[in-house]
Amino acid sequence: MITAYIKRIEWFVGLVLLQVLVLNNIHLLGYATPFLYVYFILKLNSGISRNELMLWAFFLGLIVDVFSNTPGMNAAALVLLAFVRPTILQLFSPRDVFDDMEPSFKTMGVGSFIRYTIVCVILHHATLLTIESFSFFSLPVLLLKIVLSAGLTVLCIIAIEGIKK
Amino acid sequence: MKNLLNFLIKYSYWFLFFFLEIGCFVLLFRFNSYQGSVYFTSANQVVGKIYEVSGGITSYFHLKSVNNDLVDKTIKLEQQVEMLQKAFLKVLKDSAAVPDLKDSVLSDYIVLKANVIDNSLNKSNNYITLNKGSKDGIRPDMGVLNGNGIVGIVYMTSPHYSVVISLLNSKSNISCKIKKSKYFGYLKWEGGDSEFAYLKDLPRHAKLALGDTVVTSGFSAVFPSDMMVGTINKLSDSHDGLSYLLKVKLSADFGQLDDVRVISKNNRSELQELERRAKK
Repeated sequence: MITAYIKRIEWFVGLVLLQVLVLNNIHLLGYATPFLYVYFILKLNSGISRNELMLWAFFLGLIVDVFSNTPGMNAAALVLLAFVRPTILQLFSPRDVFDDMEPSFKTMGVGSFIRYTIVCVILHHATLLTIESFSFFSLPVLLLKIVLSAGLTVLCIIAIEGIKK
Repeated sequence: MKNLLNFLIKYSYWFLFFFLEIGCFVLLFRFNSYQGSVYFTSANQVVGKIYEVSGGITSYFHLKSVNNDLVDKTIKLEQQVEMLQKAFLKVLKDSAAVPDLKDSVLSDYIVLKANVIDNSLNKSNNYITLNKGSKDGIRPDMGVLNGNGIVGIVYMTSPHYSVVISLLNSKSNISCKIKKSKYFGYLKWEGGDSEFAYLKDLPRHAKLALGDTVVTSGFSAVFPSDMMVGTINKLSDSHDGLSYLLKVKLSADFGQLDDVRVISKNNRSELQELERRAKK
């Protein structure tokens, strides 16, 4: 139990530092920035309560926000993702596993996990980038940004998942 | 009553959800306008420290281009020294004039060195964080420049860090002039490309050409006159047709800022006091 928590905290700190120091500075083609910290929320066990999930999401988002000078932005998007994640997870997980499991290639199957990841990531990125751009950019640019960033994030997640297996 | 309680417990996540989201949006609107947000953002001590370490590491990657710049500058300065020495020799014959000349050049400005530890280009309001603060003598409204041109104006300071309004900020507004013809206007950034800003309110009868140098006017107490800003890239008319609107290519490269200097006039407070009284 305690080792699980320590491992979770390690991931938390690692992903925040990776996001803040490296990934926030990537602007591929001027549009795509990977927001890899959603991986933390995607990987939390399915048995976790919605309240706990949302609190984790709130603090993760807030810390990323503090570092990127955008208080509330990442936190708002991530809390929304945490709020709907149980529903999405239920939609994509195979019928026979209902109890406490960690979403991954092994437990869900490669196809379902990738679909689950794509839906979550697009939801999060759409919220985040819409809040961020509010009135500054035009709609086509916004859509392009969402699609490219989401693609990049999903690739990163699949890569990490592949290596971990 | 019991049913009601059960209902509330069962759907508690809805309440938490709205509570957290409202919290997020309060933060979003309260702090992103930036006023009073120094505690939550970069000037915050801990965050500043981490960025300083990361800035220290990334500054190595620019060393080569910094070196090239320095070599160019050294050559220019050597030529200048030679010229000045010749001029100095001429002046030296008039022994009474020398001490005067020296004093007026050196005593007029304070110059402090600082390093950039955080910077951005792609927002509508960009800010730069420096690793020096009020303990090192930096005060709000000091000018910031690097070897190539002016960079921005100090906005807020904490003991060890300071936040600078970059030229790439919709709030930035700097009085500039054309070096050759002395006509002046003010420089504004309108979003988009980080290499270009616009010089506005230049009179219609001003004489200018593409490629002319734009320098600071020295009207404000922030920058001395004749500091390099950029060169004219495109001529066009303002929307009302009463003045010119010039696209200026900024000479400072905001993509790789590192070593900067913070500059301030010695008797600035006196000048500001005078201006304030005149406006009353």
